[in-house]
Amino acid sequence: MRIGFPHCGHAYIVAQALVQKLGTGQSELIVPPPTSHRTLDLGAKYSPVEACLPFKLTLGNLIEACELGADTLIHARGTGVCRLGYYVREQEQIIRDLGYDARFLTLDVSQHRLKSIIHLVKEVTNDASWPRIISAIRFSIAKLFTCDNIEKVVHKARAVELEKGMTNQIYREAIKAISEARTTQEVKNIAKEYTTKLNQMPKNPGADPVKVGIVGEVFVVLDPFANMDIEMELGKLGVEVERTLSLSRWVKYRLFLNYLGVDEWKGVHELAMPYLKRNVGGEGWESVGEKVVYGRNGFDGLVHLAPFTCMPEIVAQNIMPSTREDIPVLTILYDEQMARPGMITRLEAFVDLLKFRRKRRRR
Amino acid sequence: MPTNKAIFNAGNSRAVAETCLPVKLFFGHVISLLGKCDYMFIPAMRSLGRKAYYCSKFIGLPDMTRALVPECPPILDPEIDLNKGRRALDRTIYDLGHHFSADKSKIKEAARQAEKAHLAYRREMSERGITPLQALDETYPDEGKPHSERVMSPVLSVAVIGHPYVVYDHYISHRLICRLQAMGVRVFTPEMVAQQALDIATTKFVGAPHWSFEADIIGAGEHYLHAEVDGIITVAVFGCGPDSMMMEMVRHRAGELRIPFLHLSLDEHTSEGGLVTRLEAFLDMVRRRRRACA
Repeated sequence: MRIGFPHCGHAYIVAQALVQKLGTGQSELIVPPPTSHRTLDLGAKYSPVEACLPFKLTLGNLIEACELGADTLIHARGTGVCRLGYYVREQEQIIRDLGYDARFLTLDVSQHRLKSIIHLVKEVTNDASWPRIISAIRFSIAKLFTCDNIEKVVHKARAVELEKGMTNQIYREAIKAISEARTTQEVKNIAKEYTTKLNQMPKNPGADPVKVGIVGEVFVVLDPFANMDIEMELGKLGVEVERTLSLSRWVKYRLFLNYLGVDEWKGVHELAMPYLKRNVGGEGWESVGEKVVYGRNGFDGLVHLAPFTCMPEIVAQNIMPSTREDIPVLTILYDEQMARPGMITRLEAFVDLLKFRRKRRRR
Repeated sequence: MPTNKAIFNAGNSRAVAETCLPVKLFFGHVISLLGKCDYMFIPAMRSLGRKAYYCSKFIGLPDMTRALVPECPPILDPEIDLNKGRRALDRTIYDLGHHFSADKSKIKEAARQAEKAHLAYRREMSERGITPLQALDETYPDEGKPHSERVMSPVLSVAVIGHPYVVYDHYISHRLICRLQAMGVRVFTPEMVAQQALDIATTKFVGAPHWSFEADIIGAGEHYLHAEVDGIITVAVFGCGPDSMMMEMVRHRAGELRIPFLHLSLDEHTSEGGLVTRLEAFLDMVRRRRRACA
């Protein structure tokens, strides 16, 4: 069995870590090449025209995995109102039409999450023993959390760095070190080492970063290729970004704490209530609630990301302007036609607006 | 009031640009009703079956209306979620009925009659094979201009697949059904097939449905592709999430079965002339193919 899967941010590090600890016997993990313009071109070429960007990108990843000889493809499946429920159905057909003989294994991300992931791990590893599975899951989770924690520090450090590009360099090194680490202890050391490195970086004494929250559809928020490195671009403009969505948070709550009755979004949903009373699928409800949260916490602005034609986020986009917490929102819709300079121009204008508002407020 | 330019403009001025055309028109219709009513009835449609859901925009309609049309009278927004079971639906109906009557049995009776009327309407269309427009004409014969054209001698049979709020809205579809009928086509639509038959076709084609309206698209597509129609036309509005996936499945199937297929993607910029040209070209092809086969 040669297993391929689509990219989403640094999810591949988790997959690699799992395989590294479990060994897959006869099977082999095929990490598709990092998402590139070729991936997008392939995906867009074979997808229905009006499919959303995550569909096209993940399809591109899967095709590239097949080109490398993958015969088993892992993909997310969901029940609920979003198109995600149709991904596997459609992509299976497209891959078959392209002449690849690949089997799909699905990971239920909406209802029976834990059961589905364990089932998947058992199947892929040829029924490995429980202690080994648990230790492998703990190892991969350690890596994932380290990635996300370092990323949080990076979000703050980028805005105040003295030497432009320094943070990115350290961040890249950190991710590389994490993906190469062999033991949990090693991962812990890396976390400590790079956090100190980032914190000790020379800071621009005159920096007064604008604070911007990032909300929106989970895939484009988490995948730097899909969102054209928006966090980095904002950092270059001297903006400190913060986002709630992350893979580690998803794992922590959706795979574990939700089952103990902890609802990570409860507060956010309650704040969204006056404007949107119900879950509209995807992250629409959360986006509206988070606008209220960021507005109350004194953020200067909000960047709202979504794939073009994303249904839940269109609902959120329609509702957001009516909230009482009045912070500027920039909605960016991504599709394969979009160009990076266009996004940067919009970000520059937005950041100018935020700075102007801040100056006026302080006067 | 049927959709017109003024209604479109009113809705279009409120909603964000990316919103799909039917939802923009919906807001326009809400605005056209302002001042004429004390309450606005906008159910949040979540689900009409087990583990099958509506599109986000259906669920968010009442909340979007509240945000975009702040001058709207109080909105009655029962959440219709059959996934939670029949008892939950009954409770929703009672809660809604309380706005009008405190008498529980009266509410129950009203709900029963409404369901009966709906089923009768549905059966009327599926048993007699007429479009909702013809059914409306026959139910209310005296109300002005007829909605549908009479077909003189249909030569071709074509299935038109799409959501009822797209296919039967003259403003969105540029009177597609009437045009086809005037061109001598016998038109088949999803409503002309019994619900059970649609559900069976859906299950056969893709398994358990993911969307509540999947039977109308996937089921009807599969049904008509095996029903020896001369061609199949799918109609979707630009930016429709579910349709972007489902129409592709139907297209693929039509390719496998080698049945002429035309996909129409409509939006507010669709020109009538362009649409007619495409229809004529498609029908020419269907005719030629039929002659070649015969």
